Amino acid sequence: MTRAYARALWDARLLLGYTLLVSVTLLIGAPFLVIALRSVGKGWFGRLWLPPQLTLEWYRWAVEVGNVGEVLRNTLIIGLLAVLLSTTIGVFAGWAFGRRRLPGKELVMALLLLPLMIPSITYALGVARIFYALRLVDTHLGVALAHVAVCAPYTIMVLSATFEGLDERVLEAAAVCGASPLQAFFRVALPLVAPGILASMIFTFTHSYNEFTLTLLTYGPHTVTLPVRTYLAVGDGYWEITSAMAVLMVVPSLVILGVIQRRTQPERLVGGFKGA
Amino acid sequence: MRDPSPGLGATLALLSPALLAFAGLFLYPLALTVVLSFRPEGKEAGWTVGHYVAFLGDPDGRRVILLTFGLALAATCGSVLLSVPLSLVLRDKLWGHRFFRLVLLVPLVVPGLIGALGLLLFWGPRGWFNLFLLRFVPGIDRPVPVSYTLHGLVLFYVWLYFPYTCVTTLSVLESLDRSVEEAGEVAGASRWQVLRYVVLPLIKPGVLAGSVLTFMAAFGAFSVPLIAGGDYRPLAVEIYKRISVPIPAHWSAASAIAVLMGVLQVVFLSAYMRTVRRLGRRR
Repeated sequence: MTRAYARALWDARLLLGYTLLVSVTLLIGAPFLVIALRSVGKGWFGRLWLPPQLTLEWYRWAVEVGNVGEVLRNTLIIGLLAVLLSTTIGVFAGWAFGRRRLPGKELVMALLLLPLMIPSITYALGVARIFYALRLVDTHLGVALAHVAVCAPYTIMVLSATFEGLDERVLEAAAVCGASPLQAFFRVALPLVAPGILASMIFTFTHSYNEFTLTLLTYGPHTVTLPVRTYLAVGDGYWEITSAMAVLMVVPSLVILGVIQRRTQPERLVGGFKGA
Repeated sequence: MRDPSPGLGATLALLSPALLAFAGLFLYPLALTVVLSFRPEGKEAGWTVGHYVAFLGDPDGRRVILLTFGLALAATCGSVLLSVPLSLVLRDKLWGHRFFRLVLLVPLVVPGLIGALGLLLFWGPRGWFNLFLLRFVPGIDRPVPVSYTLHGLVLFYVWLYFPYTCVTTLSVLESLDRSVEEAGEVAGASRWQVLRYVVLPLIKPGVLAGSVLTFMAAFGAFSVPLIAGGDYRPLAVEIYKRISVPIPAHWSAASAIAVLMGVLQVVFLSAYMRTVRRLGRRR
């Protein structure tokens, strides 16, 4: 009896599998669909499945009252600053980790990755205190610096792997052809590792774009970012306007996901030129 | 002629920006938090362990720790239970599996705040979930509370953090040698027996190692319980409330909880890793 049952279950595995996949997809997608509908819906109260009227009013509110334009500008400036700082740090450190001998390399690396292991709120408190004292709170640079605390470990990790995958012989060939180490770096190595660097920059930007904890403790009236704005809007309780902001915020994230998926296969992340 | 293999000094010079950032943005702030946690509230001098005693001595404080740990553990278990069947299905490269793989990554790239907002709207008393129950399930005549409840919070955590476990599980499964399973079948085991006695034991260490990431993320969760937790405040939210609600802010009390949280995370994590390793060794 149970055997027949088990056999039947196995034979139906394709159906069961698709049922599982589709329900998980629906459960993951539904919240976004609800947000999107809520952001364009009017008079959606009570037991209604769909909003009775459509409107773009909430987006107008989000831009005019929620100041989304300026918020978006802040988010972009902070994101670009964080990318610039983290990538600079990551390129140098990644080169040291990936290309050079260093006693206790693993230990130093583990140490630098520590900020990813410990909940960020634990050091965000200290960061906020220091930034208050240095008057860095409510400046774009200050918030970006706070983001570097969590972004830099990622760039170091990714770029170390990228540089490690760089073929020694290519650099030797450059040296043989008379390039100085600096020339070899800028003219040969850099173009080869560019895909990896680009991937880490996209990654850092997404991270900064979504970063909430450290931002919440270092932002001010002039440096409200999209996540903080959304949080404040949730507190205000206007779900429609909050949803409109959320849509404005989530679209870039999904675009970035698409780009990452298309542009950077894992093998391109590490090296990007092997066998070429 | 330049030295082809420059020494330690140059390596350290390359590392200096990273070390500077590490010291200035992590080590020093962390040290400051620790020092602050031993200061009397609002004072720059003097030492006290009062904040720790107050938090740990208070039944509410202990409840917060238990809540944070319980939530993280429940979310981890839920993620494993969801990830294993999902990965087994995805392994077979069904039609459209690329699309489903992409879908799995969505909760990871979308800001947690947005996820929580959507979840609140979807699972809320007027959301689609309850509309569905009221319309199609007999015997239910009032909305089932999910948002702002404990089981709802676990559900939200699983939604947000299961991809960590799932991605790892999938990669472990895909690196599995299919010939082992074939050997099992040749030896006369049914498909379910192969799954139960060959595949699952083989992937167990990998799955558990992947679940560490889910555990860590759930333990440190901040934005989601902040807006979707209601009266349930895990450690991170509790810390934030100490500096955002009272005027003047209770920085020292918040710092003490933050230090406790960091220590607990390290302790839980090493205990978890040790358990995972032991389970991995026992076949």
